[in-house]
Amino acid sequence: MTALTPRLATLAGAIVIAGFSTAAIAQEGPLVTADWVLDNLNNENVRIFEVSTDVGVYERGHIPGAVNLHWHTDLVDTVRRDIVSAENFEAQLREAGVDEDTTIVLYGDNNNWFAAWGAWVFDIHGLGEVKLLDGGRKLWEEQGLPLDTATPEYVATEFALPESNTQLRARLSDVLEVVEGGAEVQLVDIRSPREYNGEIFAPEGVQELSIRAGHIPGAVNFPWGNAVNEDGTFKSADELKAAFAAIGIDGSQPIITYCRIGERSSHTWFVLSRILGYDVRNYDGSWTEYGNSVGVPIANPAGTVWGAL
Amino acid sequence: MPQTLRYGLAALIVLVILWGVWTLNAGGVADRPLAISLILGSAFGLVLQRSRFCFYCNLRDLVERREPAGVLAILVALAIGAIGYTAIFGAWLPTPAIERLPPTAHIGPVSLVLVGAALIFGLGMGISGSCLSAHFYRLGEGSPVAPFAIIGAAAGFGIGFYTWNELYLTFMQTAPSAWMPHALGYAGSLVLTLLLLAGLALLALWWGRPRAGEPLPPLTVSEAFRRLFVLRWPATFAGAAVGVISILAYFRVAPLGVTAELGSIVRTGAASLAVLPERLVGLDGFRGCATVIKEALLSNNGLFVLGLIFTAFASALIANQFTPRLPNVKDVFRGLAGGVLLGWGAMTALGCTVGVLLSGIHAGAVSGWVFLGFCALGAILSMPIGRRLETRSA
Repeated sequence: MTALTPRLATLAGAIVIAGFSTAAIAQEGPLVTADWVLDNLNNENVRIFEVSTDVGVYERGHIPGAVNLHWHTDLVDTVRRDIVSAENFEAQLREAGVDEDTTIVLYGDNNNWFAAWGAWVFDIHGLGEVKLLDGGRKLWEEQGLPLDTATPEYVATEFALPESNTQLRARLSDVLEVVEGGAEVQLVDIRSPREYNGEIFAPEGVQELSIRAGHIPGAVNFPWGNAVNEDGTFKSADELKAAFAAIGIDGSQPIITYCRIGERSSHTWFVLSRILGYDVRNYDGSWTEYGNSVGVPIANPAGTVWGAL
Repeated sequence: MPQTLRYGLAALIVLVILWGVWTLNAGGVADRPLAISLILGSAFGLVLQRSRFCFYCNLRDLVERREPAGVLAILVALAIGAIGYTAIFGAWLPTPAIERLPPTAHIGPVSLVLVGAALIFGLGMGISGSCLSAHFYRLGEGSPVAPFAIIGAAAGFGIGFYTWNELYLTFMQTAPSAWMPHALGYAGSLVLTLLLLAGLALLALWWGRPRAGEPLPPLTVSEAFRRLFVLRWPATFAGAAVGVISILAYFRVAPLGVTAELGSIVRTGAASLAVLPERLVGLDGFRGCATVIKEALLSNNGLFVLGLIFTAFASALIANQFTPRLPNVKDVFRGLAGGVLLGWGAMTALGCTVGVLLSGIHAGAVSGWVFLGFCALGAILSMPIGRRLETRSA
């Protein structure tokens, strides 16, 4: 399997599924609709994962058959600041019955915020065809679609992760190459305008974990929530394309997205990379790394001084 | 109070609560848990008022009057809830893996601090005459002590926040959130829980000298009304009802608790006045009646407690048990002094007899049993003080 590229592998999987499954097969593109999920609840080649932020929402009702992924333990390394290791991730996917020909769908609460981050983690680990349920948990609930409270158990597989795709991840050094080295890359800061402008160090209710306010020089601001409709679904590709073009992001150059800890920006990464097909990396160190780094240039329009009385 | 006025007022309260439930339920996905909280709070208030389900009074009835019915009601509530919780756990967390705890269940840290907090809470019960949930329902019966106990408890919460960091860093940081199914599995944990409860029930019956009840007249419509709304509900029925409410609450919203909203109001107020430590270390990471800085006016726990108080009020009106009296100095003193101890204990233990004892034992938490033991000890020690402070109604 490792000889095939992830895309080929999934394509091959899709063809295999098409061969003997009567249920609807994977929708084209990175998003699936609630109706599609409903039609595929019993399709054993589809595996749904919930990645939510609020504790207990999965257990009190999830899409039937969905497997829970705790973002703060399952998808990260709990000791060092990093995403989950390939070894641990592979073990979880095996336990969830994922195989080479499985179509993976993620969904979650808060406009798929952490589900999109999950998609980025899946993608880094070589599963680039993972899909998001458009509208996430919110739309599913609002449409009154069925929920289940039992935890599903699947027959474990011998699944092996394809080669990882580390190019989706930007590191501090990559960002500094842009800021100081003049690399032709566009930076997108998806935090709120007040964080971007340096008026505040962290959003309401979140600890101030960086000791400088502002943004990475040259970054443009696009608050992540602007990419979704009122009902939680993503705006159309045309609308998104126009909205980003209006701030100079048109895909002609590689892009790096970032936020405070790299989670919200995964949502924008998903929009730019998976929906619009641009070349995008997510900088998961984000402002809590950059804004704390010694000697790096910072743009702080508001001029807020940390610790000043 | 004339009967028409009592019934009219009760009907009005019921209508307002129903309107609230209706409105919240129509508010969409996000508001539905609020509607459920209001219903469950109302049901809880009704059961507490109708059965006089009060952890302290029931214990005192057993110790002083050798009347075991109330304690049996508590033990039945614990047993029913433990069975229901185990059934839910089996669906939500099919195997009790070591590194996992069932979501949101009140499995608190076990340390010397819990022992101390439970003991102090028990003393607070003895001095003020009830635990916190009972003070809430007695507010609805016009108790002259309950308002001061709740004010005292708010102050106690404030002191609790103030002492938290030191206690946490010294005793709790490494304290285990011990969960019986981790060691015994679900079946083992449930069997042990039921055996312990059965043992306590036997002990209560052995010590108790229950008096024969009055023979009841045949069950006509008016007699059914009297048994439902005037007479005290049978202990085992009340206990089963509390157990069922606890199971439903955990399944749909969150484990039962009555102090989260009170604590959150105090924490929000104190934070805005900047009189507390800026950071309460580790507090938000523990399971229990979590206090949070309030961001929305309506919360699940707030509506639960409001439903509890107002339904208890309506129920007391119908039963003609709403007997307000002007507070005297003793009432004010015992309310405030006992309330401070209750508040400090509940903040430090991350809940009270409902949030830690009931919801904890239901969940198989060792913290629930520790709280039970030491809060009972504190209550028994302080019973003589409580007796002196009591104002007997003429």
